[in-house]
Amino acid sequence: MIMLDRVCKSYRTRAGRKIVLDEASAVFQSGHNFGILGPNGAGKSTLIRLLAGSEPPDSGIVRRHARVSFPLGFGGTFHGALSGRENVAFIARIYGAAIRATIAYVEGFSELREYFEMPVNTYSAGMRARLAFATCLAIDFDVYLIDEVTEIGDQRFRRRCAEAFRQRMLRSDIILVTHNPHTIRQYCDKGAVLANGQLTLHDDIGRALESYHRLLQESA
Amino acid sequence: MGAAADFIEACRLYLTQRKFPEDQFSIFFGRLGEALLHRGWREHAVECARIAFELRPEREDVADLSAWVFSNCGRYEAAAAAYERLLQIRPRWAEGHRHMSGSLAAAGQLDRAILHGGMASNLDPHSFEFAVHAAGLCETAGRYEDAVGYLARAAGISPGVSTVLRRMSGLKFALEEPEEAVALALRALSLAPGDRQNALHAGELLLRAGRFGEAVDIIGSALDINPRDEVALRLLSAAQMLRGRITDALEAIDQAIAIASEIAEYHLHRANLLYRLGRLDEAAEAFGRAAALDPSNPDAKRSQLTVYFDSGRFTEALAVGGELIRAAPENEEYAQAVLQVLNRRFETLDGDYVVLSERASRPSREPRPAPGFFETLRTQGRVIHALIIRETRTRFGDSKLGYGWALLEPIAHILMLSLVFAVMMRGRPPIGDEFFIFYYTGIIPYHMFVHTSSSMTYAIAANGSLLQLPLVGTFDVLMARGLLELLTDTLVAVILLAGFGALGLGALPQDFAGVSVSLLVVWLLGCGFGFLNAVINAFAKSWDKIWAQLTRLLYFCSGIFYVPGMMPEWIRDILAWNPLLHAVDWFRSSFFQEYEPHWLDRSYLVMAAVVTLLAGLGLERGLQRRLYEPL
Repeated sequence: MIMLDRVCKSYRTRAGRKIVLDEASAVFQSGHNFGILGPNGAGKSTLIRLLAGSEPPDSGIVRRHARVSFPLGFGGTFHGALSGRENVAFIARIYGAAIRATIAYVEGFSELREYFEMPVNTYSAGMRARLAFATCLAIDFDVYLIDEVTEIGDQRFRRRCAEAFRQRMLRSDIILVTHNPHTIRQYCDKGAVLANGQLTLHDDIGRALESYHRLLQESA
Repeated sequence: MGAAADFIEACRLYLTQRKFPEDQFSIFFGRLGEALLHRGWREHAVECARIAFELRPEREDVADLSAWVFSNCGRYEAAAAAYERLLQIRPRWAEGHRHMSGSLAAAGQLDRAILHGGMASNLDPHSFEFAVHAAGLCETAGRYEDAVGYLARAAGISPGVSTVLRRMSGLKFALEEPEEAVALALRALSLAPGDRQNALHAGELLLRAGRFGEAVDIIGSALDINPRDEVALRLLSAAQMLRGRITDALEAIDQAIAIASEIAEYHLHRANLLYRLGRLDEAAEAFGRAAALDPSNPDAKRSQLTVYFDSGRFTEALAVGGELIRAAPENEEYAQAVLQVLNRRFETLDGDYVVLSERASRPSREPRPAPGFFETLRTQGRVIHALIIRETRTRFGDSKLGYGWALLEPIAHILMLSLVFAVMMRGRPPIGDEFFIFYYTGIIPYHMFVHTSSSMTYAIAANGSLLQLPLVGTFDVLMARGLLELLTDTLVAVILLAGFGALGLGALPQDFAGVSVSLLVVWLLGCGFGFLNAVINAFAKSWDKIWAQLTRLLYFCSGIFYVPGMMPEWIRDILAWNPLLHAVDWFRSSFFQEYEPHWLDRSYLVMAAVVTLLAGLGLERGLQRRLYEPL
């Protein structure tokens, strides 16, 4: 369970302050998968980082009664000069996971082969995503935070990922940001819409999608 | 029938044989035609009229009879010819022009029909019927301006007829004079407020003129008269939609469909409304209904595909796309749409729908309690430990020597100083017997300070994206670097000492605890400046260069290759403000017990370390979130 209690968050852009959350309170209950919807620039990625704890809120509290993953998405969480193996060892170490087992799992799952020993900044975006996915799966999180993941290798790899996630979802929850309604429907039973500093939770993902579409229509 | 034909033939033969005068002959057949028409024997009536008219077309009575027979029997071209004869005789016969016009129009000669229709109306400008007739012909021919003229004439004759005004309004709209059109429509409506057509017409014009609110009111008045008027409901729905009241629009079209459920266009409109409301599933269903009701129109199916696509139901979208392509295999746009669906399907994390009910059986996890103090401390310990290991991997970049550099740097330093000064001074160092040991006691605390404070300056930038990990904070990366420098420089100090021992230059520190404490305190001072440097460098990007210069200056001001005792007192008083000078002297005084300079103030160094550490930590804590830009 992740709780937001009167959380404010904004950041500076060239065009002035951008408000992501304005006194937002919400409860992401355990046992449910949430899809986060919102127009471009609403701050979905920032919200994911707030939930993860990668960023502190300006005010208010984010409470996590669960082991929450690092945000899985475009922004890398790897050190470019370290090899894939060293990065995985690092993450295993900070989460207190068994290092050898974690490395073995990631090495097998990510299929990076000789690249696993090379610095991460020699990787393509797809390879980074594969490494991140495998690392995230290797550690037993209660909640997985996934930020708009596409382009993660070929279809076979995507299938394997989906299968692995399906297995993991029997025990863990996910909170997912994506523009793809198909993916959302596939994985999520509840939804949240982020727009204009407000975060609205919906008990039914269909409702959330409807509300999101209405929002898009209104702004169009 | 046969008998009538025979009779006509007999009459003709008899009258021809008797050399009946042609005039009489012609009139006889004219009358016969008239009689036969009254009997309903139209074919024969026409035959008789033709015989009569061919014989004496110039006779007024003959032409009159023939024209009447022809026009009543649907022989419009013949009728027109007969009327033309009559009009040659009576050129200002208004009614004749009207008949001529009607016959010509029926015969498809629209231009001539208009000519005569116009003449009829002009010859008798007080005839309402002539004016309306002429207007109708002009309208058919697309001559709207002329039509408006005749209708205006009709309206002048009978001002109370609302249909004339309504037709004028329609024409004005077609002539792109919408304001006049609306005005006329409203006048028509005020003449006959109960007329449904007037209301719908006015409503539609107001809609097109963008006056949605008035349109809704007027259509509403039509619905007051007949609430089950589905056309009015359809129009109302359009008006509400254009007004932006999508929910009201949906309500209206729902009512219309309840009355007339089989009209494809209504379902299409309803589907569009649902789509705009974001009710995608219902929209898809409504598009499906429209497509089923009107299979010849592919637009409904195309829209259905879009809705399925938007709502992520790619399987359904694909099925609809398949139907579209089967119906129109050549249509490139459909093929593109299907391709897009296929691509999007592959982009997603593929696989079948996750059955969420599978999860129902899962053992629910106990909510983890928020971590306690020791748990948090352990986690932080793990993080710093991991960071220290990570730092050792990249500390010296790609260099093959790697960590060996940490050892080489002070050795080279000491070696160089020793050689230079040993050669120059040719004697004993200020304290102890060996230059090596003397410089060692200067370099080690200096390096401890400079390495710690400088390497922490870059800690945040160097760890970059690792800071995206929720567990890794700026404090952790700074502390990891600081600790790594402490470990490294302590190790280097010990190894060098062992090395000196092996070379027979052996000199163990006389006060081991003092050496350790002084190193620890100078390390703390380095940490304090390290935190400060990291914060300052986040705001002033060139601070690291200034700091590098400052450390070089400190090299000369900290008594590394000399003892402050060699300095004039006033210089020493100034240098005594430098905490690093006290650090070096504290370290030396613990190393060589005979060395106890009176200016050494250990508490000053401790104070300096505590103050900078508190300031550095405080600033780091306060400005934490501005120290790095999230990706």
